[in-house]
Amino acid sequence: MSGTAGALYETTLGPLPTLTSKPTHYCAGCEHGTLTHLIASALEALGARERAVLVNSVGCSVLAPDYLNVDAVEAPHGRAPAVMTGIKRARPDLLVFSIQGDGDAASIGLLELLNAANRGDPITIFLVNNAIYGMTGGQMAPTTPVGMVTTTSPRGRDLALSGPPIDASKLVASFERPAYVRRVFLPVMPTASPEFYNARGALEGARAVRHAFEVQERGGFAFVEFVSTCNVNWKMSVLDSKRYAAEVLAPLFPAGVLRDRFRMESP
Amino acid sequence: MSAEREFLKGNEALAYGALHAGLNAFYGYPITPSSEIPETLAAEFGQGNFPEFRSFLQAASEVEAINMVNGSAATGAKTMTATSGPGFSLKQEGISYAAGMELPILVVNVNRSGPGLGNLGPEQSDYFQATRGGGHGGYRPIVLAPDSVPEMAAFPSLGFSLAFRYRTPVILLADAFLGQLKEDLTFPEVSSSSFDTSSWAATGARGERRHVLASMHLELSDQNAASHALHAKYDQIARHEQRFDEVESDDARVVIVAYGICARLARRAVRSLRAKSAPVGLFRPITLAPFPHDGIERLLDRGVQNFLVVELNAGQMVEDVRLAVNGRARVNSLGQLGGLIPGTDELVRAAEAMLG
Amino acid sequence: MMPGQTVALDRAVVRIDAERCKGCDLCVVACPHRNLRLSTGYNRNGYHPAEFHYRGDRGECTACGLCYWVCPDYAITEVAKRRV
Repeated sequence: MSGTAGALYETTLGPLPTLTSKPTHYCAGCEHGTLTHLIASALEALGARERAVLVNSVGCSVLAPDYLNVDAVEAPHGRAPAVMTGIKRARPDLLVFSIQGDGDAASIGLLELLNAANRGDPITIFLVNNAIYGMTGGQMAPTTPVGMVTTTSPRGRDLALSGPPIDASKLVASFERPAYVRRVFLPVMPTASPEFYNARGALEGARAVRHAFEVQERGGFAFVEFVSTCNVNWKMSVLDSKRYAAEVLAPLFPAGVLRDRFRMESP
Repeated sequence: MSAEREFLKGNEALAYGALHAGLNAFYGYPITPSSEIPETLAAEFGQGNFPEFRSFLQAASEVEAINMVNGSAATGAKTMTATSGPGFSLKQEGISYAAGMELPILVVNVNRSGPGLGNLGPEQSDYFQATRGGGHGGYRPIVLAPDSVPEMAAFPSLGFSLAFRYRTPVILLADAFLGQLKEDLTFPEVSSSSFDTSSWAATGARGERRHVLASMHLELSDQNAASHALHAKYDQIARHEQRFDEVESDDARVVIVAYGICARLARRAVRSLRAKSAPVGLFRPITLAPFPHDGIERLLDRGVQNFLVVELNAGQMVEDVRLAVNGRARVNSLGQLGGLIPGTDELVRAAEAMLG
Repeated sequence: MMPGQTVALDRAVVRIDAERCKGCDLCVVACPHRNLRLSTGYNRNGYHPAEFHYRGDRGECTACGLCYWVCPDYAITEVAKRRV
């Protein structure tokens, strides 16, 4: 490592060549950036950068190829699983993954998600669930909690009008063939002390990302949902959004392993 | 299949034609009157007769199918889907993305009748949708129009070579008649040739070099440049890839313009008119897009004063003929709708009326 | 402290690319030893970037890497610990 490390210091964590140097467009404190970092780290740990293909569909992650230094194919809104199936069937040697939002995967792209899950295609899907449409400016999402105010539910999501939020992980796990279904609470979590937040989610996320790639390499369908925040569209400060996520989203979308057919070696 | 003579439906011939052209991947959703294409391919998949045919899936929808097509094509695979009208509408989003990402894909539309569900009879009413690029954003696909079972078999190979040469969607526009009628034909040897896709396909980064297939260009100036580059490519296609066929047109005073099933009717009409010494010929566009303007221009140079456009719609290709003629000759239109076809006698009478 | 400058403590070192930082506070609240804080200065984008700062009462950096993993802008570019 240039600079810091030398005779005295040993670098334990450093910059990742799988990340480009481009600053992200993600808002301050957004878990999309955190996930980007976790993916780059996992690809490097697995030596998989040169066989990785990212599929980016519509939502905040549509710009992910600007940040992840891998081959990439764009998908229309919601269609990433279908595009991934096409890539994987033509080239089974590639490691194919998507980063999708809740609107992308759980609303417009539900058919593509569920049919890929039902087939058990060996692909890896990362779902960033921040309960709102981020890129289009804060409209109601399939995962918006009842009562949450958005630009298209200005008096709060109405159960009678729009139904309850959709639980994508549960839907995916309702099929027989997915090999790995996991939900991670990615934001830092408030603790008893207002000064400290628990960062366990990022570490859990790192393990889940890596395992989701390993599962694909062993022929399985892997799906990891990251409960996340969108402080800008929730109209909160960064830390308030973490508290809201812990209070409202965590009980609604509980973290946990819903399926792990290839048991993780180190939990 | 060997080089023996076969007797096949148009749809079956198209499926085998694609296999002989080295088809790698097919994704589709059943719809009449094109379902024999996925059925034939499903029967051959995994049987070892066509080792290049690596991937077949019946998708959950037309939308899923076209995006699977885009995924396989993004790796450089020869990939095809087949459908009919309503399904072709659903595929437009994916075709637009393929145009924007410059993916070589082959999309077959066996044209049925009417808007909405319509019926299962033949029409050519998807002409505008196919030739104008039925999706958003102003792209220009290449559109091939076979008029026989042997051409149904031969055009997948032509389609793939155009799709890969220009990295653009190619539409094979047939109709319910061509899909269902049976003729005899001979297939060529199976092609194992592949196109060099190493400069663009998404197959994993190598060192500094990576391929990002994207239709999105958020900077306005970047989109401007990308769109201009696409249209420069379409201009080049329009200059070099016009294809057409002519029958008895050298001394013709009336030229019937028709494609697909209507070209077959027109051939019969020309034969019967020539038997009566009436100077009538046929001009058959093989590429509906790019439209063969150059061929029409040559007919005008030869002094043709009358064009009779025959198509199974209320008049779509006739607009392209009028654009090509640009007021320099008379252009009449004869159409038929609902899955019915005009009789040869109607064509003969319409041509004779123009001869005066 | 200037952006990009490294502060070396006995046990471990954290390097921050202040120009990537958006001042979101996540590393600050994630650090078990409160060894990070937002600078009163600005980076080129107008954010108060995080800076390494040994507060002294909660223990020093152990190179645990939590700041590195939570940072959405991967602005914590390096964590190094002293060889023993």
